[in-house]
Amino acid sequence: MTFSFDLIATSIPLLLTGAAVTIEITVLSIALGIFIGLFAGVARISSVKIVRFAAAVYVDFFRGTPLLVQIFIIYFALPVITGQRIDPFIAAIAGCGINSGAYVAEIFRAGIESIDKGQMEAGRSLGMTWLQTMGYIIVPQAFRRVIPPLGNEFIALLKDSSLVSVIGFEELTRRGQLIIARTYGALEIWLSVAVIYLIMTLTISRLVAYLEKRWRINDKR
Amino acid sequence: MINVKGLKKSFGELEILKGIDIRVKPREVVVIIGPSGSGKSTFLRCINYLEEPTEGEIIVDGIKISGEAEINKVRAEVGMVFQRFNLFPHMTVLENIILAPMKVRKLPREECEKTARELLSRVGLADKESAYPEQLSGGQQQRVAIARALAMNPKLMLFDEPTSALDPELVGEVLDVMKELAKSGMTMIVVTHEMGFAREVGTRLIFMDGGYIVEEGNPKEIFENPKEERTKAFLSKVL
Repeated sequence: MTFSFDLIATSIPLLLTGAAVTIEITVLSIALGIFIGLFAGVARISSVKIVRFAAAVYVDFFRGTPLLVQIFIIYFALPVITGQRIDPFIAAIAGCGINSGAYVAEIFRAGIESIDKGQMEAGRSLGMTWLQTMGYIIVPQAFRRVIPPLGNEFIALLKDSSLVSVIGFEELTRRGQLIIARTYGALEIWLSVAVIYLIMTLTISRLVAYLEKRWRINDKR
Repeated sequence: MINVKGLKKSFGELEILKGIDIRVKPREVVVIIGPSGSGKSTFLRCINYLEEPTEGEIIVDGIKISGEAEINKVRAEVGMVFQRFNLFPHMTVLENIILAPMKVRKLPREECEKTARELLSRVGLADKESAYPEQLSGGQQQRVAIARALAMNPKLMLFDEPTSALDPELVGEVLDVMKELAKSGMTMIVVTHEMGFAREVGTRLIFMDGGYIVEEGNPKEIFENPKEERTKAFLSKVL
């Protein structure tokens, strides 16, 4: 067995640019996921049956099927219907974001349901509509409470984003594959890739812990 | 002001209110007493539709409710104070008070803040506008909750056991605010266990038991000379 530190040293810059792309997809996907998840999560507890049903179908579908298959559907199956190729970058973010939205929706739903029901009653008794009370009173409080699970989702998504390498999108994992194809340094490169992922996920969990501490100040009940 | 006819409310099989009729005129202070489970809180919550009546008619300030739009309209005119305060913990005292006037009445922020400060000094908390609810005592929180309800300039105030969650030494400060409010001519319906308040401030006393109004009338007369057996039994336990 040979282990080449030189190979690692020369590959690091390439891998790091791949890591930058991974961060880019993850951040854009989680933003999309939070946006979709917020609406879907609120819709899950709406008093309108059809809205509740639609949100449940969305959550069930995207949590109940593999992300890999969802990426294939968006990248390979959708063009069959539309007749238009999809940019891998768009497909990657759409796939990860819509998938993540389903998990985020459940996080928000649980967060919203954890808020004392007296809060909704207080808002409604002042003449505010259900939506106003949600928007100004319930969701802002729920948001602080869901920071930890949202952080976990962020970490999970960062790791899952490696799946978009299968549609040829050059993020960290795909960069690693390409370098190995050239150099045969599977051991050195995969270990390096793993370490880079680890550094990124650890950074996120520290960040989340910090945010959690800072925002908890006004939410002792 | 309020006209309730044949109000019934069931939760599943369980009938909590079995037919309530009551009229409340402006400037009245109606105090409702009764054992727990008698339906007094449920009745109060039906008036602003936090609970939807199963049967009967409720007309508040000439508005008869038949849909969501009227519900919001009625609620804007009816202030409610809860047993557990229900202040918004992520907002300062001032923000708690100005939120609804700004969003429901669509008043400009400066005007709302001015009103809020006047109300805060009226409930004796002028120096607390930047505090968060958790930094206040229970009595202070409840006074903020009263100011928050008053900020909507309601025609009627509902109090749902406003002092029941308070430490005994904090009850007085909340009752004082309520007394002052009654004196200023506010129409009030108060569910409470504070018999002293009922006797002193109430213009009418209602004793509820088992989902019915058992007895109603002048508070002092009922306390001194209750007519119904159930009222006598209840009063002998609490007085």
